[in-house]
Amino acid sequence: MASNSFNIDDPFQFESELSEDDRMIMETARDYAQSKLEPRALKGNQEEHFDPAIATEMGDLGLLGSYLPPEYGGVDASQTAYGLIAREVERVDSGYRSFMSVQSSLVMFPIFKFGTDEQKERFLPKLATGELIGCFGLTEPDHGSDPGSMSTTAVKTDGGWILNGAKMWITNSPIADVGIVWAKAKENQDDEGEIRGFIVTKDMDGYSAPATKHKMSLRASETGEMVFEDVFVPDENAFPDIRGLKGPFTCLNSARYGIAWGTVGAAEFCYQKAREYVLDRKQFGYPIGANQLPQTKLANMLTDITQMQLLAWRLGKLKDEGRSHHSMVSLAKRNNCGTALEIARIARDMHGANGITGEYRVIHHVMNLESVNTYEGTYDIHGLILGREITDIQAFVPRGNDMPE
Amino acid sequence: MKFYVCIKQVPDVDAPIQIKNGDLMQDTDRMVLNAYDASAVEEALVLTEEHGGEVEVVLVGPDKAKETIRKALAMGADKATHITTEDDVDYDSAVYANILATFFKDKEYDVISCGKQSQDTDAGLAGGMIAQHLDLPYATNAVGLSIEDDNLIAKRQGDSGQEIIELPQPCLVTCSNDMNEPRIPSLKGIMQSKRKPMETTALSDMNLDESALSAKTKVTGYMEKPEREPGQKFEGEPDELAQKVANLLDEEENVI
Repeated sequence: MASNSFNIDDPFQFESELSEDDRMIMETARDYAQSKLEPRALKGNQEEHFDPAIATEMGDLGLLGSYLPPEYGGVDASQTAYGLIAREVERVDSGYRSFMSVQSSLVMFPIFKFGTDEQKERFLPKLATGELIGCFGLTEPDHGSDPGSMSTTAVKTDGGWILNGAKMWITNSPIADVGIVWAKAKENQDDEGEIRGFIVTKDMDGYSAPATKHKMSLRASETGEMVFEDVFVPDENAFPDIRGLKGPFTCLNSARYGIAWGTVGAAEFCYQKAREYVLDRKQFGYPIGANQLPQTKLANMLTDITQMQLLAWRLGKLKDEGRSHHSMVSLAKRNNCGTALEIARIARDMHGANGITGEYRVIHHVMNLESVNTYEGTYDIHGLILGREITDIQAFVPRGNDMPE
Repeated sequence: MKFYVCIKQVPDVDAPIQIKNGDLMQDTDRMVLNAYDASAVEEALVLTEEHGGEVEVVLVGPDKAKETIRKALAMGADKATHITTEDDVDYDSAVYANILATFFKDKEYDVISCGKQSQDTDAGLAGGMIAQHLDLPYATNAVGLSIEDDNLIAKRQGDSGQEIIELPQPCLVTCSNDMNEPRIPSLKGIMQSKRKPMETTALSDMNLDESALSAKTKVTGYMEKPEREPGQKFEGEPDELAQKVANLLDEEENVI
């Protein structure tokens, strides 16, 4: 090989910067995703079906909670490796990546970070093997971007807490054995309360988790509600020390970081499919890729993907060095979700009528990424987080307008 | 029993490979374990899990190929030998066979196995050449292996049936990827592979003479595969069409 070459999947060769461990973990995730998840994805999307065996398959390979220490079922993998797993899984379907993210970052991570030793021993090993499936409840029907105003309460009683309220848009909830729920904890009904985290289990009286049907997005993963009607949660299931929004936001930061990587996989898939399609498809006697419009679309996609790759890779490195900031995560999550969605839409368009069918698998990404752009902090809310960081002025609460009650 | 599995690092065939000016551009930086060798590793693991023994992998390649050795160790192989070469060597099957046969000369083993070919050149020659050098009984393109009374039983797939070959040990066999589905290494296996014994021998210390290390063949160029000719389309009544197609197959294509 005399001269340097241009890699049309990874132009700035970020993969060559990865450590040997990280590359090997990436390869395992890719082998698994391509051989075991890809064959299920079409049916999963058409029939709104998540095969629960995916949990134990991922668990067997160590893809769940990979960055936790070995005593709790992880392998002390790097944050970069966690991101690379998300990228390979989301290359197939954001729904599968959502399952993995929730289990790892929103269930195992908070138990590891905020739980008692007893809670860690009780739940983490079985969550790591996929024997138990977990979910995370923060968002409510009337409280999305503003979770601090949540209505779900936990009122103190003898030996535990009584939970009332409902959580909505909860990935995994209908199939979950364990749920992390955030509620306003009150000593009595009149107390203003402060946010605390609780571990609920599916067998608790008064707890139900109905599935959300007719989703047009993330159809290969389960979504539902968490409904609490006088649910007694014993003291030993409460996180002992963490108070306020810092708890859920710490978990979300970890999951959002994974999303910044996951969307790289989805965007790469769509770009590669579009590239293949325009070179195969002939109209007017030539491949449509011989025309200027498809070529510049591909050029724009690859330029955007390169930026997404480098952002995700650099953020992973900063996280591994303990130098990350939550606004870096907002920047990467916002940019990569928005850009991936744009790329998926253009790739769908480039497939013409064929792009409408599920067979080409691009429209699934378009639909999925609509959710991914919205959940875990919408595109606009992350813009406001960055705006506040830049100006030191919050713009979440509109000021200067007296709104009618 | 002692299994030696020869493995090779090859460019990932799923990564984009471009041909420019007759040169192969495979600078994708994605190098992987040859899929046929992965099947050989898998089968060796299955047989030693059943009958006891040890699996050692041997790789001839540059420093960066260590990652591929780790993959085989992560799958479950017990130990490894890495015969290190320069980065830019251009060896053909004969050279690889010379190196490996020299390595095996003073080793004890029951079975040497490898993929029936490697995905970079698909030559499919090294296995047979090693067996010839070592004067071992050998079988190629096996789709199944078993052990019976100290013999290795290799199942080969032909067009019209299967052939079962009994090989006295020590012997050599090359493996088809139809043999099994190689296990995906778990993250735990990947981390543990760092602690498994890996011996590194520099090729330059093996005292091979220059002729043994010079390629006997030379690749003169690479070409894209030719585009397929478009098919012919006939319209008309079924009877006429059948007659027409039959004539074509008979007279023009000579297949009937």
